[in-house]
Amino acid sequence: MQKPVKPKTEQQRLSALFNTGLLDTEPEPRFDRLTHLAQLCLGTEIVLVSLIDSDRQWFKSRQGLDACETHRDISFCGHTILGDEIFEIPDAVVDNRFTDNPLVLDAPFIRFYAGVPLSINGANIGTLCFIDSKPRQFTDKERQIAEQFAKSIEQEIVDRLQEQAHSELLESDKMYRLVLEGTQIGTWQWNVQTGETVLNERWAEIIGYQLEELTPISLDTWLTKVHPDDLTLSEQSLQDHFSGSTTFYDIECRMKHKHGHYVWVRARGKVVSYSKDGKPLMICGTHADITTQKVNELALKQSRDQLYKLTQELPGVVYQFQSWPDGRSAFPFASSGIEAIYGVTPEEVRLDASTAFNRIYLEDLEAIAHSIELSSQNLSVWELEYRVHSNDNALKWLSGSATPERMPDGSTLWHGYIQDITQTKEHYLKLEELNIQLGIAQQSLDLASEQAQIGYWQASLKQGTLWWSPIIYQIFGLNEQDFSPSVSLFKRAIHPDDVAKVEKSEDQARVTGIHNVVHRIIRPNGEVRWVHELGQLVSEDKNPELIMIGSVQDITDRMKLQKIKDDFISTVSHELRTPLTSIFGSLTLLQSGKLAALPEKAQKLIDIASSNCQQLSRLINDLLDIEKLAAGKMSFEMKPSHIMPLLQRALKDHQPYADLHHISLTLQVNQPMDELLLFVDEHRLLQILTNFLSNAVKFSPQGESVTLSATLMDEQIEIAVQDQGSGIPDDFKGKIFERFSQADASSSKAKGGTGLGLALCKELIQAMNGSIGYQSEPGSGARFYVRLPIMK
Amino acid sequence: MPLEKILHIEDDESIRVIVDMALVDISGYTLVSCASGQDAINQVEQYTPNLILLDAMMPGMDGLQTLIELRKKSSYQQIPVVFMTARIQQSEQQEYLDAGAVAVIEKPFDPMSLGNQLATIYQTFITAADNHSSE
Repeated sequence: MQKPVKPKTEQQRLSALFNTGLLDTEPEPRFDRLTHLAQLCLGTEIVLVSLIDSDRQWFKSRQGLDACETHRDISFCGHTILGDEIFEIPDAVVDNRFTDNPLVLDAPFIRFYAGVPLSINGANIGTLCFIDSKPRQFTDKERQIAEQFAKSIEQEIVDRLQEQAHSELLESDKMYRLVLEGTQIGTWQWNVQTGETVLNERWAEIIGYQLEELTPISLDTWLTKVHPDDLTLSEQSLQDHFSGSTTFYDIECRMKHKHGHYVWVRARGKVVSYSKDGKPLMICGTHADITTQKVNELALKQSRDQLYKLTQELPGVVYQFQSWPDGRSAFPFASSGIEAIYGVTPEEVRLDASTAFNRIYLEDLEAIAHSIELSSQNLSVWELEYRVHSNDNALKWLSGSATPERMPDGSTLWHGYIQDITQTKEHYLKLEELNIQLGIAQQSLDLASEQAQIGYWQASLKQGTLWWSPIIYQIFGLNEQDFSPSVSLFKRAIHPDDVAKVEKSEDQARVTGIHNVVHRIIRPNGEVRWVHELGQLVSEDKNPELIMIGSVQDITDRMKLQKIKDDFISTVSHELRTPLTSIFGSLTLLQSGKLAALPEKAQKLIDIASSNCQQLSRLINDLLDIEKLAAGKMSFEMKPSHIMPLLQRALKDHQPYADLHHISLTLQVNQPMDELLLFVDEHRLLQILTNFLSNAVKFSPQGESVTLSATLMDEQIEIAVQDQGSGIPDDFKGKIFERFSQADASSSKAKGGTGLGLALCKELIQAMNGSIGYQSEPGSGARFYVRLPIMK
Repeated sequence: MPLEKILHIEDDESIRVIVDMALVDISGYTLVSCASGQDAINQVEQYTPNLILLDAMMPGMDGLQTLIELRKKSSYQQIPVVFMTARIQQSEQQEYLDAGAVAVIEKPFDPMSLGNQLATIYQTFITAADNHSSE
């Protein structure tokens, strides 16, 4: 028996067979009808559609045979497919290729065989074969019929393939539609040549419309809805796709929603057919609403940008630091601030942190290593202040803080921030130093204030708060623990007789900013103490809280001394005046000559004694006045006074004295002053003029004149006394208004001055809001003046 | 009524002598001088002056106490009192005026014009008293 060989194109043939998808399928009427018809036409016992698989022949359709397959080696059809023509064996028994074939020797006892190859796509996949158990020979006509049937079978196979493809297409189309609907994707088709456009409902829904609202649909429907700024992008992508440089038309663009806002759409499409001249014809595509995604993306990008910008703006470094158990460490992320902190770029330390660590001040390295290890072990926040060398090798202080996180590989990752606190640290250290100094100063102050019995206080007029230093409590006889300072507590302590005085000073303080008063207080145990209060309102522009600071000094002891002094002066003045009164009285009575006539020399001596006695009396008066002024005990009876009568009286009072010295007195005014009023104590003003006039008379040569003048100047009046004396020596000018000052020691003896007069004048005129001065040119005498404000 | 009779009370003898000369020899008044307040009170029954010149500072009974005691005598209640003092502090002087003195003369005084001074003070007082009584 001859086995059929395998054709050269066996592989190709088998693949064509498999593509038909016929093997091992159910019998089909389309094939069975044909084989049955062929059986009837040609009258053979058996008709088969036999497909030649790699090792077998399998019958897709069979008439007159039960078996559905046989081995390929014993097949007749295996031979048939080797040629393109009908293969015919008239009697197998006598053909030595088949004599011993089991199919010949046994059922179905083949004697006649005729097979027509079935060719699909040029490959013989099987046969249509006719079998009989009696020898036979086809006529030409029978052969033609057999061949036509084979052609019909071939056609059926092709048709079947196409039907199958079609139904698969339908299936997949249906599936794709379902997918499209499921994915909410809009679809579009556009005929590039005609502009004809088809959109689906979803396409319209994406931009808030019903599809019918958009009719008539045209390319304009798209063009009017897309954001104008995105048209160029679309055009570019389309051209790229048409030219073949991209597989898809693919853009992200904005489209105007029915409600006016824009939605983000991903438009994707592909040319599916071309015109005969090769131009793109149909392009199909999809629209996907990617607004949410896009907005998220934009927001993410924005927040990333912001974060990045922020980290770059920060004065310090935002970083991630990672440390592995094997000792490696790195900064996987560091903002550009790391350059200012460690003098390295983020790239330099991305994989290895050691260059940054090299910058750390040696003394602080151990503390850092320890703190990092501790943070890593306990996963506790790392916080440290330490020093690094800056680029110029100076030391800077850094402050770092980071939160650790354990990574799957056993490493630890910190997220943190390090900043340069050199300045803060320096300020802090400086502050600490100042604090120590302040502490020392405070101690000294406390000590000093305790020794001097001066307490100090601070009040906020705005907040109504008051603070007392410990000494104040001591002065007021209060226990610091039992009382908190308050204005009412202070007021209660003031001696009732002094309340008005204190309030007056407080009122004044509101205007002048200075509170200055001496008054008595009564301690809780009834003891009366004298205090000197001095307060100052800190200048307002620097003092929004209206802070007033001040001191309270216990001056009881001083006041006691003052009292002793006052008593002493009072006593002394009495004890001096009493004998003076007798001496002066006696001399005056003698001098008058009314009681007894005296010899000329005796008269002369009496005159001298009388003159000196008067001077002594004046000295005592001046001394007492000065003391009174200094103690603030001089009282002034200020009242409006006409100036002219005062001047005339001063002149008249001095006429006898002037006559004695042969000096003429004159009064001079630069304009009528009858209406002018001064606000003065007349007695005190006269005292001043008396002083001026008696000095002028005293120091003028005999026969000269002394001028009392009044000059109106703006708001003031100047009252002056001009003499014709020798003027004031230069070395005396600076101290002329000082107490006990006289041009030279001899002058007091010669002229009888006390040296207190001008000093007293100065204090008196100042107490009456006036000023005092003099002019003196050598050789032209001296001119003393006072200036007083005029009353309006 | 012109000033004629004066009572002077002063502990300092020299001043008593000078006042005596000034008022009697120079001005021609009738004068009784006492060395203390007690002396003066003892004199009251014998002598009724037009004016009393009273030293403020005296040992024992001082000027103010003497004034109070003298005022207790009915005949002395209307007599003007002039204080004489070596203390020139105004508060002290005011104290005397408040106690009923009509004037205060400071020491040292001018003996030549003392009589005139007292006459002027007396006339002012009389005029004021007349006005007062005629109202």
